[in-house]
Amino acid sequence: MVILRYIGSRLLFLVPQIVGIVLVGFILIKAVPGDPATLMLGPMASTDSIARLRTDLGLDQPLPVQFLIYLQKLAHGDFGTSWQTTQPVLSDLRTRFPATLELVTYGMLLALLIGIPLGVLSAVRKRGAIGKIGGMYGLVAGALPDFWLALVLVFVFYSELHWLASPIGRIDISVIPPDTITGFYTIDSLLTGNWDALGSSVQHLLLPVITLGLINAGPILKMTQSTMDRMLQADFSQYERLCGLPPQLIMRHAFRNALPSIITIVSVLYGFLIGGAVLVEIVFSWGGAGQYAVQGVLNSDFNPVLGFVIFSALFSLVVYFLVDLAYLAIDPRIRH
Amino acid sequence: MPLPLQNRFNAELKSAVWSLILERTGYGLRYFVQFLRVYPGYAAGYIIVLTVALVAAVAPLIAPYSPVNADASVYLQPPALSHVLGTDSTGMDVFSRVIFAPRIDLAIAVIGTLVSSIVGSSIGAWVGYFQATTGIRSFLSSIIMRAADVLQAFPVFVFAIALVAVFGQSINSLVLAIAFVNIPIYLRLMRSQVLRIRDMRYVEAAYILGVPDWVIIGRHIIPNSIAPALAQLSVNIGWSILLTAGLSFVGAGVRAPTPEWGSMIAMGFPNVMTGQWWPSVFPGLALAITVFGFALIGASIEFLADPRRRRTLASGKPPLPTQA
Amino acid sequence: MAMSSSATLVLETRDLTVSYRPYGLPPVQALRKVNVKIALGEILGLVGESGAGKTTLAKAIMGVIPQPGAVEFGQILFNGTDLVRQPEHKLNQLRGRAISIIVANPRGELNPLLSIGEQLTNLARFHLQASVRQARQLALDMLRAVKIPDPARRFRAYPHELSGGMAQRVVIAAGLICAPQLVISDDATSGLDVTVQVQILDLLKKLARERQTSMLYITRDAGVAANFCDRIAILYKGEIVEEAPTAAFFAGPAHPYSNLLLAAFSHHSALRKRWSREVEPLAKDEIGGSACLFADRCLLRQGRCFHEHPQLRELAPGRFVRCHFPVERPSS
Repeated sequence: MVILRYIGSRLLFLVPQIVGIVLVGFILIKAVPGDPATLMLGPMASTDSIARLRTDLGLDQPLPVQFLIYLQKLAHGDFGTSWQTTQPVLSDLRTRFPATLELVTYGMLLALLIGIPLGVLSAVRKRGAIGKIGGMYGLVAGALPDFWLALVLVFVFYSELHWLASPIGRIDISVIPPDTITGFYTIDSLLTGNWDALGSSVQHLLLPVITLGLINAGPILKMTQSTMDRMLQADFSQYERLCGLPPQLIMRHAFRNALPSIITIVSVLYGFLIGGAVLVEIVFSWGGAGQYAVQGVLNSDFNPVLGFVIFSALFSLVVYFLVDLAYLAIDPRIRH
Repeated sequence: MPLPLQNRFNAELKSAVWSLILERTGYGLRYFVQFLRVYPGYAAGYIIVLTVALVAAVAPLIAPYSPVNADASVYLQPPALSHVLGTDSTGMDVFSRVIFAPRIDLAIAVIGTLVSSIVGSSIGAWVGYFQATTGIRSFLSSIIMRAADVLQAFPVFVFAIALVAVFGQSINSLVLAIAFVNIPIYLRLMRSQVLRIRDMRYVEAAYILGVPDWVIIGRHIIPNSIAPALAQLSVNIGWSILLTAGLSFVGAGVRAPTPEWGSMIAMGFPNVMTGQWWPSVFPGLALAITVFGFALIGASIEFLADPRRRRTLASGKPPLPTQA
Repeated sequence: MAMSSSATLVLETRDLTVSYRPYGLPPVQALRKVNVKIALGEILGLVGESGAGKTTLAKAIMGVIPQPGAVEFGQILFNGTDLVRQPEHKLNQLRGRAISIIVANPRGELNPLLSIGEQLTNLARFHLQASVRQARQLALDMLRAVKIPDPARRFRAYPHELSGGMAQRVVIAAGLICAPQLVISDDATSGLDVTVQVQILDLLKKLARERQTSMLYITRDAGVAANFCDRIAILYKGEIVEEAPTAAFFAGPAHPYSNLLLAAFSHHSALRKRWSREVEPLAKDEIGGSACLFADRCLLRQGRCFHEHPQLRELAPGRFVRCHFPVERPSS
């Protein structure tokens, strides 16, 4: 019952937050100089046709009215149309958002696989080589530009070693992508038994996922290391040691106490990467949502930008919400 | 107090405060030197940043070629004696461009971060100090915090590109974009610090004694809040350099042919596929090393400012980061 | 030495010396040639002010002296085995099982994410190799023994749900669940309300007597030790300055410091006045390198105290004092 009320109150806060984000995005975009109508019709268009298009698009209305019109359309699921792709933004995002999500999710998984064990080890064995390596890794990974690392990996594994096929896109051009169920090529090909697509999409995922994983393991490692260390120094860990409990048990308990902080940073990273992976997407021509939005801004195509902002904000809010539920499960002190 | 007495009181107070500052600074310097002796690794951060700044400053004197003049006859030459790091696809010398680039990257990042830290910290301190009070100040505080929440929920990269589009593509707008994007960080940092210290007993005591607000802020709150902000500053500068490079990589930052690490990587991108790695790899390496230097400095400031670690610096050999 | 020689000694420290050596700073001697003896079933009270070295002694026995400290000299004999020479894993087997410690600030020391029942059963399962069910039963028995109301329900409670007194009882239960031979109580009752303190001390004494458990009761409060301990030892600046059976001690302490301690609690204003007079602090050159450590605060100091460090000597069977001029009293 308490849980339901909690969920309800959170959902209630969701709406004004989204509206706020849309408002900021709207203001930002309208502040960008440039007339969309002119851009859409090209330099040869006549002033009449431009004026007509402006009226059609509602661009001659005062700004607050435009905002309300946009909100109204939004409420009906109409995110507008992108003049670059000439498709509705919603359908564009339906393919692109899962593409980014697939990439970012696998990247995060790899980052967790590298970051958490290394973080725990470097906290437990502070004095040894592992401790120093762990500290270094966090600093180095945070300094590497992700787009540059992607290029280096492409150079090494594609140009020089020829281990992988062309690093363009999510799947080989010659292979037919699987039917869309989730939008994740890997899952969809598994579900439909399309082994060619599975192999090809995995191959194409390798380099970008490794890039994202290696770099984002840095903050995860740092947070894990510092929190584990704090928990191991805490009174209760000292007490467990005084009770003669075995070191593995003490470590497991310390890790459990460290989980909330680790989950926090994972959730923040996850939300950040939806827009933050755009550079890697560009290097690999991934066709993801971040790339879509960036192209929108660069070409004064605004509906994609707003659509992306809304999607990514919604995603972040969902992630934060799930994380709060996880906190409730882990920490009994919060339940009261 | 009769006036002459009060003047003398003020004068003595001033000299006491001044000698206190000198003593603290001296103590701080000695502590810093001891820190570097015990942990020589951290010195690398300072060395790197100083070297990069120095190289950028004297770049016009030491660059063998012009960073913006293209000589198409020597394009895409691998590293050799004539061109130490090779040439890019338009024939420009990679080495000269790599050492000229930090002038822009560092300037944008440092100025932008400084602006955002000052603006963000001021707002944050204000919000933190007046948060729980009643009336319009508290209301304003909440609004500012909600606005900061919304701003931070915005995808950073898209936000930065949009800002550049709004202000027009120039170096100044890049500085503004960097500043804008970083303000919420300092706002939150300062606010949480102020809240933490404001609730401490000695501040409460000063308040009860009738000490005016600005004295409390200046004397108690600011000195105790500076250290985390400083550590954040250094790391932030590093991150802002990465952001500038990223923006230039997508074409929303510095325009060609101005040398900038990110745009250099972008220009060399198609060449990497065909095996000419040097136009992209070297600028990226320089970028990574510089950002690493700033991150290391930030880590050292964090270590220095932690009062717990101050004690363990004087314990055991070799000392460790945290101990019981 | 007299009283304890016939009984078997559970714990004996021989000339135990512990120093802290901070980097770049002069070393600090926390314990100087401390000799402590605890016989089977005996409760020894260790009284001292803050910084005297009481917790260091507890940590030394448990083998957890924090950096930069270390045992420089001496032995800690537990049933004849020198703990100082034991490797870490052997010490870990003893901790919680043969030697346990009851800490102060129990709510901060218990793991916040585990129920108290879980924490107790962890101990039983690991140290006693008990099965899940046996461990649960043991934990419940222990909770009952420490008089926690409704133990079955409290079994699932988390530390933050308990009051201070209740948490202290849980920590006592944890200290006794494996039936150790030696229990160290490090200032365990000092933060509690006085009424709760009395209850807990009575409980501890009863349990100790029932199981023939030896106790090292560390405290700053000499008065509490009076009702509770068999013998008292006074620790000052890392040295034992007096050791005596409780009754004899409280009838008339021999060391000037002990008198100072008791006078502070005393009702007799005359006694307080007599002992609490301010003493002139000494100039640095007045104290020789090996002076009595209490000389600069001592009311009875004389010339010899400044140059000759007193040794612990036996005044009467079982009474030891480290003073050149112990307080003589006509027996009353």
